[in-house]
This record gives sequence, structure tokens and C-alpha cells, in this order.
Amino acid sequence: MIASGFDITVCVLLCLCALAAVTGRDTFRAIVFFIVYGLLISVAWLRIDAIDVALAEAAIGAGLTGVLLLGAFGQMGSADTMAREPRGAVLIALVAGAGIGAAVLFAVQGLPPEGAGLTAEVLAQLEASGVGNPVTAVLLNFRGYDTLLESIVLLVALIGVWSVASETGWGERPGIVHHARAGGTLQSFGRFLPAIGLVIGAYIVWAGSSGPGGAFQGGTVLAAVAILTILAGLVDAPRVTTRWLRWALVMGPGVFLGVALLGLFGGAFLVFPQAVAYPAIVAIEIVLTASIALTLVLLVLGPPREAPQ
Amino acid sequence: MSDWYLAIGIGLLLTLAGALFRVWRGPDAADRMMAAQLTGTAGIALVVILAAASGDWAMLDVGLVLALLAALAAVAFVKAASPNGAGDPEEDDLS
Repeated sequence: MIASGFDITVCVLLCLCALAAVTGRDTFRAIVFFIVYGLLISVAWLRIDAIDVALAEAAIGAGLTGVLLLGAFGQMGSADTMAREPRGAVLIALVAGAGIGAAVLFAVQGLPPEGAGLTAEVLAQLEASGVGNPVTAVLLNFRGYDTLLESIVLLVALIGVWSVASETGWGERPGIVHHARAGGTLQSFGRFLPAIGLVIGAYIVWAGSSGPGGAFQGGTVLAAVAILTILAGLVDAPRVTTRWLRWALVMGPGVFLGVALLGLFGGAFLVFPQAVAYPAIVAIEIVLTASIALTLVLLVLGPPREAPQ
Repeated sequence: MSDWYLAIGIGLLLTLAGALFRVWRGPDAADRMMAAQLTGTAGIALVVILAAASGDWAMLDVGLVLALLAALAAVAFVKAASPNGAGDPEEDDLS
């Protein structure tokens, strides 16, 4: 009884936050509601025991989305006026939203009541995967191609962001050049937090082989503290044409692809023989973490642009 | 035992709802941001409660990440308050 009371309260608050984020006229208020929404979503994931997803949502929601949206808000300047949408557009959006909602409800109705999915099969084969966390086993071994393609998608997204750079901006540093008072609150915070963040990020990547965690969650934490050092004006983002940067970005998907090709000797593409599965997965996770973290930092900072004179 | 934890969790959710009211009303951007920071604190408490209720202590890692990163939104907010989003309000005090 109390458990359902808790779940219902979370759902009501989630709906309120979502409504407030999309219906409000105030851009800033909408952003703040969206940040709180992310927090509640990660609590909701915990309630259904999806700790890996909750970790990813907490890291992305708290560390990246808020910074991205508030950064965009800060650069909008006087352009911050939400024009009233024409009635027709609102009506179409309402109908489309209700349609998608109905489709999802219909799909949920169609699921088997005790829908265990493939959980039993995964747990039965866990031994062969080389790792102890079933989520990591699925992401990096049983369905490794999903993660391989995802890491490439992130890279393609970055190329997309970079491709909107202006002609004069190309070859410069991504985003605006940040500065802060020397020795001020922001700089002190920017020196203090990354030390802890590095430890927690590395811990989460390492924990991924036996429990919740992994390259994406740990990489996001590392990206967030790296962005903090840039926001605090302590470190300048590297120029987009820097050679080491390019190598570091492709290193993760590259090593993953290389190990996948080595699998051809063991039988097929992406096959890890049981004896080498653990070291192979940990090696991929570590290299992938670096590439993911760097890609996320550059995605949040935006396209390179010319520094103001 | 787990029910007791969840009952406390509902209490925490209600305090979070109180902060949501402040996010809605404002009136200043700073009020909304501080209320959001308050929900971050309530969120960490909720994660700890859920970990205790389920006995799955791996959940604590989520609280760890939230505690580490919740302040980042406040940093971004402070940056957004400077003229072109690049500076730091503390610099303006000096000039």
C-alpha cells in the first residue's frame, strides 16, 4: 500500500514537472522544471531496479543537460521571448501527443503480464560473458554491436555540431571562451570538484564490470567535471583541429572495432572467447570512457567559433 | 521495515513538492534556481531511502553522482547571469 503511495506520488510530481516545463511562458522556469524532471525520472528508474539507467539519467540530467540548456539561455540575450504558438499548431501537437500516448498504452497492454523478457536467458549465459553485471554483459558482449554503433553515433553527432561552424570559426576553440575572477568562488570550485569527480568517474567505470556503472555513466561524470573546469576559465577547450583531440575521439570506437575484428579469429565478428572476455571488455570500457567523455564535452560546448577581438 | 522507509520517502517527496511550488512562483530566477538545488538535496535523500528500502546498496552510487553534479546547474546559472554567458558575476564587482 505504502509502496504504491510512493510510486503514485512520484508519478504525479513527474507529470506536474513535465506539464510545467512545456506549458510555461517563462524559458528559465521551463529549464529549471526540466532539471527537476530529470531528477525525479532517475528516482523512478530506481523504483523499478534499473540502477544503470538511473545512474546514466542522474549523470546526464544533473551534469550535462542543465549546463547545456542554461548555457544556451545565457547566450540568448534579448531574444528570450516565447511567441504564442498559433492555435492550429497547438491542436496538431495535442493530437499527435495523445496519439503517441495511446499507442504506448496499447503496446504496454500487449506485453505478457509477467514479462520477464530475456532476463532468464541473459542470467543463464552470464558466466560466459566474462563480467558480473548483466547490463554490461548485454551491452558489451551479447549485443555488442548496439554499443559499437552507439559510440559511432555519438561521433557522428559531434561532426554534425561541428558542421554548423562558420567559415571563420573553423579551427578555433569550441564554444565561447570562458573567464572568471582569479581565485574567486567559481575558480576555487572548479579546482576542488574535478579531483573528487575523477575518482567517482573512474570508480563508476570500474564498477561496471561487476555492478551498476560503465563507460557511458562514468564518462558522463568525467565530462561534467571537465566542463566545469572550462566554465571556470581554468582550462581552454582544445582547438577542433588539434591532432591528439581527433585521435582521442576516434580511439574508443576504433579500439572497439579492432577487438571486434579480432573476434573473427575466435569464430565471428564481435565474438569474445570466454577466456579473454573480461580483459577485452574492461579494455574497451576504459578506452571508450575517454572517447565518450571527450565527445560529450565537445557536444555541450558547441561548434567552434572565432574568439571576439 | 521497507514500508517505513517508503513512508519517509513520501514525506521527502512532499518537501520536494514544496520546492516545486517555489520553482513555479519564483518570483526571481535565483529563487527558482535555489528551489531546484533544494530538490537536488531531497533527491539524494530519496536515493538513500530507496537503497535502504530495497537493501540494494549499489543504488547509493546514484546519490553519489547527484551529490557531485547537482551544483553544476547553479554554476551554469551563475554563468548565464554574466553579460554574454562567458564571464563571472564576481568579476563585475571589481570593475
